[in-house]
Amino acid sequence: MTLLAQYALTGVVTGCFLILATIGFSLTRQVEGFLNIAHAELLGVSAFITWGLNAGAGWPIVPAAIVAIVATAFIGLFIGRVVYDPIRRLGPAVVLISSVGVAYVIAGLMHAIIGTGIRTLDVPLATTFKFFGLRITNYQMIVVGLAALTGISLALFLNRTRTGLAIRAMSTNPELAASRGIDVRQTSRATWLLSSGLAGLAGVMLALIATLSTDIAFHQILQILAVAILAGLGSLYSVIVAGLIVGIAMDVSVFWIPAGYRPLIAFAVVIIALVVRPEGLSMKSSS
Amino acid sequence: MNTISQIALTVVMFGSLFSVLTLSLNLQYARGGMINFGTVAYFATGAYAYAIVTQEPPHGLDQYLVGLDMPWWAGFIAAGLAAMAFAILTGWPTLRLRGEYLALTTFAFAEMLNSLLVNERGIGNGTVGLANVERPDANILGLSENVVYALAAFLLMLATAYAFRRLLASPYGRAVDAIRDDEVAAQAIGKNIARLRFQVFVISSMPIGFAGALYAMITTLVNPELFTAEVTFFVWIALVLGGERTILGAIIGTMALVGFQEAIRAIPFESVRAAEIAASAEDIVTGILFIVILRWQPFSALARRRQAA
Repeated sequence: MTLLAQYALTGVVTGCFLILATIGFSLTRQVEGFLNIAHAELLGVSAFITWGLNAGAGWPIVPAAIVAIVATAFIGLFIGRVVYDPIRRLGPAVVLISSVGVAYVIAGLMHAIIGTGIRTLDVPLATTFKFFGLRITNYQMIVVGLAALTGISLALFLNRTRTGLAIRAMSTNPELAASRGIDVRQTSRATWLLSSGLAGLAGVMLALIATLSTDIAFHQILQILAVAILAGLGSLYSVIVAGLIVGIAMDVSVFWIPAGYRPLIAFAVVIIALVVRPEGLSMKSSS
Repeated sequence: MNTISQIALTVVMFGSLFSVLTLSLNLQYARGGMINFGTVAYFATGAYAYAIVTQEPPHGLDQYLVGLDMPWWAGFIAAGLAAMAFAILTGWPTLRLRGEYLALTTFAFAEMLNSLLVNERGIGNGTVGLANVERPDANILGLSENVVYALAAFLLMLATAYAFRRLLASPYGRAVDAIRDDEVAAQAIGKNIARLRFQVFVISSMPIGFAGALYAMITTLVNPELFTAEVTFFVWIALVLGGERTILGAIIGTMALVGFQEAIRAIPFESVRAAEIAASAEDIVTGILFIVILRWQPFSALARRRQAA
């Protein structure tokens, strides 16, 4: 029983990471209207900038992480402006396929610069804490804490600030938003910064809790897609629920079936969800 | 000179082979309006079906459970049927989904299949795969093996192109086009949209299965590493490269992409690091090509101009 609870707890940590990784993806989907396959590559970019500054240049982890997140936000904005903006009119399918091209370019660049092999950050080893017989490391607690913090601040941002409200207006009805005097281009830029910055944050978390290799991003996109579909492509809040469901389902499944199937569980959940309820958890039409 | 003809032969062989995939995808996407991001799954199904049907029963260290030891043509037919069966299995619950949802679900199915092939050693020895896959003896024709298989791939491509062409020129093909252009109108004149889309999906997966069998014959090896999402992306890039909607475009796009990859592979490298960088450069250039072509669509612009003239 303790073992099962332990798996569930690890699942919560996985889920919190997935929430961080998926929120930016879903935000892009809502405002820009397409699935950005290259989103996961931004996680990799951020993780490796952190690694380069931390393990390579000898910076402490916090400034390294901050620089990485900001840099990733601007890289995301740059890609959005240069690649995606000109082809938006061609429809979501074309942009989706283009983002595969972007993912290829980023992955290739990372591979060329960093090379193969496994990297680790230069941080103290994780300390393990025990609560009621359940183990959790301090880094895992940071992930959970940051996910909660991000969720709350994002909700405040989207509900209280001018830019946040503009983003929400854009995602619900772009034409109406534009006609009501919302600066569409500026809002789009803010969205790119925000979603890429969130990818950056998730990348730093990834660097903390996992070992880094250049193909790490591709494995993340599968799970991000799973969470995003389960949440329904139209809602941000259901990302939180969906992230936790996928995370816990993946880790708890290890209790009964071989660990090799862990990634498969994410998709099994998704396929069942799609067949039973094609619009996702949010019940909101997103087309 | 010898290496150049060797490369040319490889390009024809794999170019024709993957053209079959591109053609099927072209039918599904450009004509049927379905985004299939799991193309590799039907390819893998075909290859594994062929290997399992022709493989000798397991012995020694083998972990696979079934090896039927049948002749190659039985395996070839089984490959087409298996791919169709898999298309029925995956198409039935998912085809009512639209656009990107369908793309993601087919992608998910392909990942699940790959995961099954890795984890269920009873299917095909897990990550080790099935080696020494049986293939017909090419020497009967008095030609070298590579030439024979290049010819076989080329013939398969021609047959696929011909079959699809006939299919699309028929009233059935016009019904398919009508659905893509305007679903509501097609429905109004009594076309069963769901059934037609399902039929197109299943029919077009059969050649993919055949191509899988041929691929297994050429490589004489099947393992999960050969059938990753990269194959799917590769075929999509080829389709985009050639410009959608034309059979010739799909073939030329695939050939060009294979040729490009083979050319890079033919460059000799001094060190492992140099080879690594070249491999990355291949990815980067492929990605940039992809973005540029989708942005300006030079080939479809060319096709349009030719049509107008």
